[in-house]
Amino acid sequence: MSDEREERDDSAAGRFGAHTYQRAQGENNVSISDATVAVSDELAARDDMIVCRDVDKWFGDFQALSGITATIKEQEIVVVLGPSGSGKSTWIRCINRLEAHQNGQIIVDGIELTNDLRNIEKIRSEVGMVFQQFNLFPHLTVVDNITLAPIWVRKKSRPEAEELAASLLERVGIPEQAEKFPGQLSGGQQQRVAIARALAMEPRVMLFDEPTSALDPEMIKEVLDVMEELARSGMTMMVVTHEMGFAREVADRVIFMEGGEIVEVGTPHHFFTDPTEERTKLFLSQVL
Amino acid sequence: MDDAPGTRGAASAGPAGPVDPAVTDVAAAAAARARPPEETYRSAGEWIRKNLFSSRFNSLLTIAFGLLILFAARGLLNFVFSEERGWDAVRTNLRLIFTHAYPEEQYVRIWVCVGTLVVLTGLSLGLFARRGEGVQLKKISTVMAGVGAAIALGVILREPSVLTGADGAVVRENDDVVRQSFFEAMADRWVWWLAAAVLIVAGVVLRRAVASSKVSISSVPAVEFAVALLAVPVLSAWIYPWGHFAFVDGTFIAEPGRTVAMSTKVPWTVMWLLVVAAMALGRLMRRGFDEQQQQRMRIPLNLLWLGSPFALYWVILRDPHLEWDRVVSVDIPMGVLFGVIGAGVLWMLTRPGIGELGRIIAIVLLGVAAFNWVAAFFGWYSMLQKARLSFLLLALVALAAHNFAGEIVKRRRLVMAWLVLMAIVHYFATLMNAPSTVETPTEALIGGFAVTVIVAVFTIMLSFPLGVLLALARTSRLPIFRVMATSYIEVIRGVPLITILIFFAIILNLFLPVGMEISLIASATLGYTLFSAAYLAENVRGGLQSVRRGQFEASDAVGLSTTQRTVFVVLPQALRVSIPPLVGQMIATFKETSLLAIIGVFDVLRMANSVIPAQTQFLGIKREGLLFVSLVYWVFAYTLSKQSQRLERRLGVGER
Ligand SMILES: Nc1ncnc2c1ncn2[C@@H]1O[C@H](COP(=O)(O)OP(=O)(O)OP(=O)(O)O)[C@@H](O)[C@H]1O
Ligand SMILES: [Mg+2]
Repeated sequence: MSDEREERDDSAAGRFGAHTYQRAQGENNVSISDATVAVSDELAARDDMIVCRDVDKWFGDFQALSGITATIKEQEIVVVLGPSGSGKSTWIRCINRLEAHQNGQIIVDGIELTNDLRNIEKIRSEVGMVFQQFNLFPHLTVVDNITLAPIWVRKKSRPEAEELAASLLERVGIPEQAEKFPGQLSGGQQQRVAIARALAMEPRVMLFDEPTSALDPEMIKEVLDVMEELARSGMTMMVVTHEMGFAREVADRVIFMEGGEIVEVGTPHHFFTDPTEERTKLFLSQVL
Repeated sequence: MDDAPGTRGAASAGPAGPVDPAVTDVAAAAAARARPPEETYRSAGEWIRKNLFSSRFNSLLTIAFGLLILFAARGLLNFVFSEERGWDAVRTNLRLIFTHAYPEEQYVRIWVCVGTLVVLTGLSLGLFARRGEGVQLKKISTVMAGVGAAIALGVILREPSVLTGADGAVVRENDDVVRQSFFEAMADRWVWWLAAAVLIVAGVVLRRAVASSKVSISSVPAVEFAVALLAVPVLSAWIYPWGHFAFVDGTFIAEPGRTVAMSTKVPWTVMWLLVVAAMALGRLMRRGFDEQQQQRMRIPLNLLWLGSPFALYWVILRDPHLEWDRVVSVDIPMGVLFGVIGAGVLWMLTRPGIGELGRIIAIVLLGVAAFNWVAAFFGWYSMLQKARLSFLLLALVALAAHNFAGEIVKRRRLVMAWLVLMAIVHYFATLMNAPSTVETPTEALIGGFAVTVIVAVFTIMLSFPLGVLLALARTSRLPIFRVMATSYIEVIRGVPLITILIFFAIILNLFLPVGMEISLIASATLGYTLFSAAYLAENVRGGLQSVRRGQFEASDAVGLSTTQRTVFVVLPQALRVSIPPLVGQMIATFKETSLLAIIGVFDVLRMANSVIPAQTQFLGIKREGLLFVSLVYWVFAYTLSKQSQRLERRLGVGER
């Protein structure tokens, strides 16, 4: 297993280039219980990237997540939908330990999230995250934003990291903004820098928490285009969004949450045309 | 919306043609936005009417406060220029005020120090002062005319009580103060009238020229202008008979009709030339370098700034006497030993696979280093102070070593940095231990304003890192750090500074183990540092709290460790926000050094307050000295605060 990963970790560019769009439609439409059964004897199956089992999370007396169980396979694109306050952000933030869950298991790429700092460090360097508010470092230039972690966490040399940053900026379509400060960029450009910053760590999974919600309508597309390209290159992605178009076209699976629980899981086709649950129907009638 | 008619007018006034009016409107509006509407006044009268006499109540206020200011100015003028003032006491004692008893024949050392700082300043200005920052010619003209008017007003305001001859000497008809007629007095002050007239005329002419755009430039570079202005006092020392005042062998020489002594004007001229040369060099370097090389130049220059106080004080001013036997047999071997062993340890600690073991070794080292100091305190075993210090430094560097693990280049860089650090530390430690060869009649090497500056600079340099560490500890998640930092800060803030100073000056030596003694100035600096750090910590804490949560989350999400997050993301933002209060604290520290007089240091205040008034020639003359000292303090504090405002603007505090 480790050999396999070594090979893949060679370089971000190489990895993204080598993997073609090769996801079998429908294959991933496994019900939650099936997935759970499949990995019950091992920590997780080989191509399971994120495994959550009975995850509970409380904020004081308030239970934000209850019994979340789901598996995300390698190279899968999962969109999480749900009304405000349903716990989407909380869940996604538990996956790289920005919040600590209290019960259940979260296993990322075969590593279980526990209080062990080393595991947390390892998982954080495998998981990239993009925030609604971009959260770029305002005192650093775009290049320095991107190269900071590769230099200090991945221990890359500066020229190497800068080369990587340049190629990533090229990829997200803003190579000319390298020397600017975040405050000098538009929202859409900032979010694309944030994506480049996350990609610079060469993550195996990317988490997106409403990446377009703070953007003006005309900038949403440029960010979604980058995300779509990323999806096509074979990245495993978990996306919280209100962009139904993106969910319909790019997602392999849609997970619908409400009140801290997973209500329904299915392919976009199933989800948007023929939902089973009443609550899903109600939600769709409100947003579509 | 307001300017819509205006812009439409502009559009129609332009060349007519089949232009879409909406497009032109937008363009015009954009042009209007590019230059914000300025509030302009047609004449000085209009300005006065609008700003000073806009309503009956405002007029009343203007008149009342105007009178108040006039009376205050008159009082001050009459005080400063009264012929009863003993300004000779200040003029003659300038050397005493600035350096106290530093020996005359070694005075070149003082000038080397000043010169070094002047060169560094010039280089920094030349390399980094922004081109964009210029002084508007309009503003210069206003200031010139304003100063001229103020001089004229001053001449009128000053009581006509004395008659001053053309040579500047006081002419009296008898010993009593003579009341001249007003007009006679006015006529006698023709030099001042001339100065006022020249300034006003020059100001008005300049203003006209700028307004009619006869002069093609509208502003001059601020830095160059300031340096050029400095030439005025320097040149005047050669030309104008300010007077030749000196104490020679305890006798007082005052020769009013002559120019300033060579020992004053030559060095100052050299200083001025040095700053000009350094600035030109800086500009030249800047032209030759690209942006990135300029940024890289900042590092060595800042290191020179940081190192200069140590080098200037311990090497230049003290001129230490080295015993070469001991240096060769003890000091050099010890430095080499620490360098080599430390390098070995660090090389091992940065091995790629060392992991947790590295941290454990570093913590053990820290424990041993700390124990060395505890042992020193109780006198359990003896060890050279610099060995203790080196050990502590090694432990601290070892703690940070894991950041440099991995690549051979980075490891080598860390080891090289360690060797350089050891070389510097041992060099300075050796020099500090060597006795000074500069002999002064007092216990301290230097006094006066120099000691004020030295204590303030070292206090600021030492208390800044301490304050940052305290602030970090206070906001730490670990309760032990939090409790320690909080109680330290609260205790210090609850105790008056003077108490702390007295404690350190008088009592500290009683607590120290035998054979370990520190000088009055060093212990005072220690007291100031501990005090100032507590306040700095609170300022930094404010900055830390202003850093948004998203910054922490983003740092965590890209995998930065807690230390890396603090150093690269949180602190830079927090410090930027806390610049104004930090500089405020620095200025406060600078002014609080005047308490040194109370614990018996011959600082600048003590010169004015007790040393000069005790001289037989100037018995009891106190007020002049105090006024002069206040002026010196003010000039420094004001410069600091101005610089901090510039720094704030440059770092864009408040904009994001
Ligand atoms: N730090 C916190 N402390 C207390 N309660 C919290 C905290 N963070 C979230 N919550 C609560 O947990 C619930 C889920 O929040 P979460 O942010 O995950 O919702 P969401 O699905 O992302 O909603 P939205 O679409 O509005 O972003 C909400 O009711 C919220 O009030
Ligand atoms: Mg949310």
